[in-house]
Amino acid sequence: MNANRRVLHFVVYAITIYLLTSVVAAALDWKWKPVSRINLISDITRKHQGDDFNGTDSLNNHDTSSLLTITAPFKDKASDFGLYRTGHLITNFNIDTNTVALERFIKKLYDLKNGKMQKIRIAYFGDSMIEGDLLTQTLRKLLQQMFGGNGVGFVPITSQVSQFRTTVTDNYSGGWQDENFKTDGDKSRLYISGHIFRSNGDWVQMKDQTVKDTSAIIEKSLLCGYVPHPVNITVNNAPVTIRANNVFNRITLDKSKNFFIKISVADIQFPVYGISFEAESGITLDNFSFRGITGVEFARIDSSFLKSIAAENPYDLIIFQYGVNLLFRPYDKNFSWYARTMMPVINKIKNCFPESDFLLVSTADRAFRYGDEYHSAVGIDSLVKVQALLAFETGSSFYNQFESMGGTNSIVQWVSQNPSLANKDYVHPNFRGAEILGQYFFQAILNDYEKYSRTKK
Amino acid sequence: MFDFEAFFRQFLYDPKNPLLFNNGFFVFFFALFISVYYLLRNNFPARKYLFCFFSLYFFYKASGFFVVFVILSAIVDYFLSNAIYRQQNKKMKRSLLVCSIVFNLGLLFYFKYTNFFIATCNELLKTHFNPLNILLPVGISFYTFENLSYTIDVYRGHFVPVKKFTDYLLFLSFFPKLVMGPIVRASDFIPQINKPYVISESDFAKGFYLIVSGMFKKLIISDFITQNFVDYIFDDPSRYTGLECLFAVYGYAVVIYCDFSGYSDVAIGIAKWLGFTIPPNFKSPYQSKNITEFWRRWHISLSSWLRDYLYIPLGGNRKGVVRTYINLMLTMLLGGLWHGASWNFIVWGGLHGVALAFHKIWKQKTEKLFKPVENSAIINALSVLITFHFVCFCWIFFKAADFSVAGDMIHQILHDFDFSVWGAFFNNYKPVLALMLLAYLLHSIPDDLADRVIGRFRKIPLLYYIGVFFVFVLLYGFFKSSEPVMPIYLRF
Repeated sequence: MNANRRVLHFVVYAITIYLLTSVVAAALDWKWKPVSRINLISDITRKHQGDDFNGTDSLNNHDTSSLLTITAPFKDKASDFGLYRTGHLITNFNIDTNTVALERFIKKLYDLKNGKMQKIRIAYFGDSMIEGDLLTQTLRKLLQQMFGGNGVGFVPITSQVSQFRTTVTDNYSGGWQDENFKTDGDKSRLYISGHIFRSNGDWVQMKDQTVKDTSAIIEKSLLCGYVPHPVNITVNNAPVTIRANNVFNRITLDKSKNFFIKISVADIQFPVYGISFEAESGITLDNFSFRGITGVEFARIDSSFLKSIAAENPYDLIIFQYGVNLLFRPYDKNFSWYARTMMPVINKIKNCFPESDFLLVSTADRAFRYGDEYHSAVGIDSLVKVQALLAFETGSSFYNQFESMGGTNSIVQWVSQNPSLANKDYVHPNFRGAEILGQYFFQAILNDYEKYSRTKK
Repeated sequence: MFDFEAFFRQFLYDPKNPLLFNNGFFVFFFALFISVYYLLRNNFPARKYLFCFFSLYFFYKASGFFVVFVILSAIVDYFLSNAIYRQQNKKMKRSLLVCSIVFNLGLLFYFKYTNFFIATCNELLKTHFNPLNILLPVGISFYTFENLSYTIDVYRGHFVPVKKFTDYLLFLSFFPKLVMGPIVRASDFIPQINKPYVISESDFAKGFYLIVSGMFKKLIISDFITQNFVDYIFDDPSRYTGLECLFAVYGYAVVIYCDFSGYSDVAIGIAKWLGFTIPPNFKSPYQSKNITEFWRRWHISLSSWLRDYLYIPLGGNRKGVVRTYINLMLTMLLGGLWHGASWNFIVWGGLHGVALAFHKIWKQKTEKLFKPVENSAIINALSVLITFHFVCFCWIFFKAADFSVAGDMIHQILHDFDFSVWGAFFNNYKPVLALMLLAYLLHSIPDDLADRVIGRFRKIPLLYYIGVFFVFVLLYGFFKSSEPVMPIYLRF
């Protein structure tokens, strides 16, 4: 028997049922997603604006208003919190946008540019967004080109991404023990990188790949913690005895035109943090990336320990760039808990590094799939605002990276662009994207610098 | 609220939302088509016009005004094939064939490979030509090959060209297979055009099975694993452990199979419902015991095309041992390039070519040795496993954006495997892993099982079919609205 009639019947019946269900569902405004996502007539009915993205611009003020109590540094200045919304701007919220935000740091930059031999040290803290020296390598390169300086800065002994970091070649033996933010145990003496390494006979060799000037003298310093007895290590295969008597020690192992070093350590009690490659003068920029964190982890590190780091290893500018790991659920909008937890951490860091300017960089854009399409996280505006408030409240400066990269849905654009600028996790800019972020950020620093240099002319 | 403007916009091509089998629009398109087709079923010419019209409209909705190229190439090849057929002079016949080849390949090369050659030229010769702004017309790789096989078959005298232009246009534009194949042979297809619309009960069941299972493979398994796992890892393997990378490769093996064979199955199923039989395009390829067998089960319409219109014309295995291997390599390299304009695909084809050659030699040398254990389950299982892993290895090059990503992937798997992250990995990706397992289990079912089961179907009430269909639709809705699985860090 010919079954062609069954094809017709099947199609007509099935589609009629489907269509009727769709019409009823649309008319009754069913919200059950498995049905609403496959509604046959959804393309030709007017959607309620922003079913999914409800509230992106109507930030719930109760989340953050408790923080809006203007404190010390802004008392006698006319300040404008709303400046945080401006992209490409480093702001200290001063209503007069012609004033310099990073006062001490920019002044030192100016002096350096005008011939004063000095080191300017920057610590750039962040999560996976700066892993592998992404963004920071661009910023370092541009700053060193403009203001002078050599060396890649701090390099941890081992790292998950050492194979892929192009600014350092890092090889090491497999026995290094790694205590860090995510392992069990005491965190009070973790280095600001979030790690301590220990070894009983392991080696590490590093080569700074950023140095283009072969006549440059590069200091290679070992950063390490306290050990009660002298320690025998080898440096470039020669035995050396070192004394690490302070809670934090910075020991220069070599000062030469070499930008290569190999050390081995055979003392499990000896806490090793890493090696710093720096020139005697100019810009040093340390990348402290730790994937998956939000910055609150620094609460665990002892203040006295941080102070000794500040004394031995001072910074002129400390930058914090976190936030993307707070956006791990698509519908989160309330980040006031983060403000409450993070505020004391920033105050503590500022307190322990009194010589440093402090700059908070907002999260970059990240998107989730809402229904069929990717869209910036519904909570991103709220998070950026919380981060700005943290800066405002602690008297820090702020840089809106989200706005600078293009604001809402820029990550979606970056992913779909050809060649793409970001990965399909809709979180991480790739090396091309990170290069752009680095250039934008450099430009923002330069703008701040020019405000200062204009006053000097 | 009914939105009239949006309603009318639905009928126009939307580059952001090209027509595919899973669009809501297709449901209406198909319902209307099948109703009118059924009404006109006994009026062959009217039925054919209807079919052509709907097919070309489908193509317009899928790729906009590129539909012109389908019509243009149908016209050119229709006239050329008839001219070739009529032409008695061998030389003239040959030059007409050359015209057809140049025209078809010319179109394909211009749209698909111009920028690739510009980039390669810039790299090798340090020239600075700007790439052109060329969009690739959907389906051009498929219908170009169909045109070529048609004129070549006519030239070889295997086939008498159709007298009616609409017959040829329908062969070329037949909407179920227009966008993503299978590559249909005129000798299979054209004789079916002017036949009464008759399908058996088991054809109906088979068609239903192919459409629903194809959609399931493509829209549920493949899309879910791609979006929630494979894309993360292949985008930046260096962020992930070797374990994640390895599973991403296994995942991609599922994805590419489900995606491609799913689309083919839907096309074949729809064709079946309309009274057209298109031969199967995939036969559980990962069950293959060697690479030669793999190519007899994987994208059969392409591999047989390459055999008949490239390998054999090159001389096949008739010109000595060395030439055989050269022909094999050339066929596979070009076959690789057919998949996309990039060196990755060439390497992918090259790897398969080397493997096919290796298997040829291996078989000659070891046939006697393995004769006694030919039916050993262990040896067979081992062969399947080795073949599968080789195919997976090649997929790395197929999927990776460039060689550096492929290199990172391989580096991570070989040098940074890290078994210890299994627990966290498993917990995070449970739904993905479950779907992967399901896909491999379904894949391991013997090929003819579905046929045998369906063959036994007596008339089942329509209600059952409708029930199964809506279970699928709901399942699709469920997966479409599921919360995305996010990548996590397994190590710090």
